[in-house]
Amino acid sequence: MPPSIHPVDLVATLRQRNLTPAIIFLTSRRACDEAMQSFERSQVTLPKAQQDQIARVLAQVTEQYPSIAEHPLIDTVQRIGVAAHHAGHLPSWKIAVEELMRTGSLDAVFATTTLAAGVDFPARTVVVTQSSIRKARDFTDLTASEIQQLAGRAGRRGKDLVGFAVITPSPYIDLTVLTKGLTGQPEAIHSQFVISYPMVLNLLKAHPREQIQSILAKSFAQFQLNQRTAVLETKLDGLRAEMEPFGPRVCSDWITQWQVFDQARKRKKPRGLGARQESPDVAARLHFLTPGRVVGLTRGRGIILRQYRSKGQHAPMVTLLRDGGSLNECPASIVTQVFDRTFDCEETSAYPWCTPQTLEQLTHHLLDLPPRLPILPILTHQNEEIPLDSSIIQTLGDFACPTCPSRQACQRDFPRASRVRQDIQRHMKSIQALQTSLWHRFQERIDVLERFGYLNATAQLTADGEWARLIRIDHSLLITELIRAEAFGAIDPPLLAAVMASIAHDDDRPGSFPRGSAGLVTLLFQVRKLAESLAPHEAPPMLRADVAALTERWVADQTLTWIGLARLTTMAEGDMFRLFARTIEFLSQLKTLKATHPSLAESADQAIAGMRRGVLEELP
Amino acid sequence: MTTHELEQLLLQQPVSLLHRLARGRISRHFRSGKRKLIDLLLQASAENRPGLESDLAALIEEQSQRQQARPAATAPKPKVPARPATSPISTRPHRAEEHGHHEPPVSLHEWLSGIGVPQAQPFVPDAWQVDALAKLAETDVVVSVPTGSGKTYVAIEATKRAMQENRTVIYTSPLKALSNTKFTEFSRLFGPEQVGILTGDRREHAQAPLLIMTTEILRNLLYDAAGGEIDVRLDTLGLVIMDESQYLADPERGVVWEETLIFCPSQARLLLLSASIGNPQDIADWLTAIRPNPCALIRHTKRSVPLRAGYLHPNEKLTPLFRTAGIPYGQPHLLHPEAKRLFAEYEEETGPSRSR
Repeated sequence: MPPSIHPVDLVATLRQRNLTPAIIFLTSRRACDEAMQSFERSQVTLPKAQQDQIARVLAQVTEQYPSIAEHPLIDTVQRIGVAAHHAGHLPSWKIAVEELMRTGSLDAVFATTTLAAGVDFPARTVVVTQSSIRKARDFTDLTASEIQQLAGRAGRRGKDLVGFAVITPSPYIDLTVLTKGLTGQPEAIHSQFVISYPMVLNLLKAHPREQIQSILAKSFAQFQLNQRTAVLETKLDGLRAEMEPFGPRVCSDWITQWQVFDQARKRKKPRGLGARQESPDVAARLHFLTPGRVVGLTRGRGIILRQYRSKGQHAPMVTLLRDGGSLNECPASIVTQVFDRTFDCEETSAYPWCTPQTLEQLTHHLLDLPPRLPILPILTHQNEEIPLDSSIIQTLGDFACPTCPSRQACQRDFPRASRVRQDIQRHMKSIQALQTSLWHRFQERIDVLERFGYLNATAQLTADGEWARLIRIDHSLLITELIRAEAFGAIDPPLLAAVMASIAHDDDRPGSFPRGSAGLVTLLFQVRKLAESLAPHEAPPMLRADVAALTERWVADQTLTWIGLARLTTMAEGDMFRLFARTIEFLSQLKTLKATHPSLAESADQAIAGMRRGVLEELP
Repeated sequence: MTTHELEQLLLQQPVSLLHRLARGRISRHFRSGKRKLIDLLLQASAENRPGLESDLAALIEEQSQRQQARPAATAPKPKVPARPATSPISTRPHRAEEHGHHEPPVSLHEWLSGIGVPQAQPFVPDAWQVDALAKLAETDVVVSVPTGSGKTYVAIEATKRAMQENRTVIYTSPLKALSNTKFTEFSRLFGPEQVGILTGDRREHAQAPLLIMTTEILRNLLYDAAGGEIDVRLDTLGLVIMDESQYLADPERGVVWEETLIFCPSQARLLLLSASIGNPQDIADWLTAIRPNPCALIRHTKRSVPLRAGYLHPNEKLTPLFRTAGIPYGQPHLLHPEAKRLFAEYEEETGPSRSR
């Protein structure tokens, strides 16, 4: 989101208050470019002297980096004394802007926050327009360190008596984040130690496996893990002190003892209560309590309309039509006698559980019943006492607890003691995990490398491992596997450069680019297949076909100029430059395999030579 | 509070407040309109409704304080339902206002005064710079100072001293661009023959006594040396300077700094230059634990050029951000009443209009 103040007004205000030169941090490259465009339309022009100074500095820098001369913004910058500086620009242009700022020729620079981390040029004033930045795919609040890095650019040593950090709001800004960041302490930093395949190979090359653990122990990661361990250990000491009063009693491990006894006791209980809740005669009668049956109750008689189980307790229930025509829902135990008399009953699925006609008939029948009715004799199984499970009886018998003198104390203390003991065990486990996690991760890597044949069973480097350890870049496993699969057998330099570019490029900024050659498409397909098969061991790269095609074009067509290349794509020049620079870095790693893979190294060398021309040659 | 009540309450809040509420709960919340945002909030907080409610209450409270700080005449209170939560707050004077009774907020004129160029003075190193150099003669040093305090001076002086003793110096930086800048700068200072550069794709004067490289390159050199392959002049290596050491915490590249520090030869001195970080002592302690000599920490938080913070309203009105001219460290609530009023106005204006 651009700031709510118009960029031209913003710069005008800063000029008027004598707060220039200023760095204005905006959220996106687009916001920077749009701010510049708004100046192109405005009528502001600098005094002649300042314009001349800018021209002088630019001419100086252009001597070293000729590509600046072609930059479309030169006239605007010279006229208005304001420039943009972001990752979409070529490094040479950024150097020019930095030089202009250093010489104090510019009034303001619109920059993205990436500037704060790297390049070092200060100003009198820093303008902050946001409280969050895009990281990965989401916006996160700026941290105190980041805010202080931004604000830290304000005030040039030896050129300013004071520096200013000015906040101007844009939508979604959160002022408290910024005020807290400005006044607060920078955050603590945490180790980001990851164990990569090249690290494993290189460590095992120089040290036997037995020494690795002590090397890992020297990492900042382990140092910080140890700090956490120390915290846990003090907690553990506290817990142990809390455990003091629960020391050995009659039995040395009374907590376990009591726990087992308690469980045995509890397991016994449900047997007595659970399954057989209804008494034997109720259970026996249940089968006869069908709709239409006449039953005797403690007082009077009734006709059953339905039988069901209660929702919660699953107690047997009946719906009864009673003398006087009332309908009742009662527990089945209310029935004292079952008569040998049933009436037809047309059932329905809802209250009153039979058709109205039936209900009327039944009411009449109930009134007309003779006073004596034959009783249905029902056999009740007097179920004999089920003996307790013999094993439990036995174990219960084994426990001394019921008669133990400390039984009461045990029963009282058990809940707390067992909780404390659980905490102690949990803490001890975490401490152990903290101590060994790095080594475990290392071993996991060893296992993978062994499976792929870079290490032998005793964790020594195989012939493949010897050269693979020289590939010390991201996606190293994919690259070494590609080499072993002879995907790069007798590969042309442009094709090699293209594949490496697609592996190296990790930006998902969209763009439209030329199409690759048929050979490249096939090769990329194979690379993608291999990368997917390696996915469990190494996150696959993005493998964008369009950046590969762009790189292929650049290496294959040596007459193509940088401007011509830029016309083929919507990618920003700065992004193209970074893509190529990174690709060259990857290729130069392949170049180190001269001894084992001479043709690949040669191809990589030629690819590098093919890439380094134009803008790429002018800058290291 | 029922879902319906909560929804009504959310509906009455300005959208900016909802966005603040959504932070950490909903990803990409800035994309949604008010209605959608409320739905998302209700959805997201299905698990933890009390958490949402208490956060909401806190935000409303904060907002109402802001409104109280604003004179009643300039802005009529928007219709807000009765909120029992605010009543105990309203009786208590705000800390900032309490403070204000003793010390009136700084005026814009005062705040702006003192702009200008200091008179040229002969360069005198700061106490911490002298201290760092003295300590470096004995042992490893970690420097954590604010941006722009003059870390480079320490690096240059230390390099000079090491080169006088005929020892090799390696200077690493996280970015190729920075390496190039330093290469140009040091070549000017020490003479082009004295300075070499090694980056992913550039090698110049690789035998020079002062080598500038990216940290990755140094890591690779150390690995190669450990593997017994190449002869880097590690025996004569006297000083390793690592600029921007806070990169140790970089999610992708931080591990390279660790590897480099672990394998750095023990006879070489280490000089770690870092921007202000929260726990420089940890780094010093760590290095003390893994290196032969105890590591000294140079830390200071005072900026060499004092900093002032301001607030610029979209209508071009400029005010100080805090009641004090300088930054009131540790007291973020000491906002200048004028800045507070203008920002509340801004939120009021932009908030609801965007939801329409």
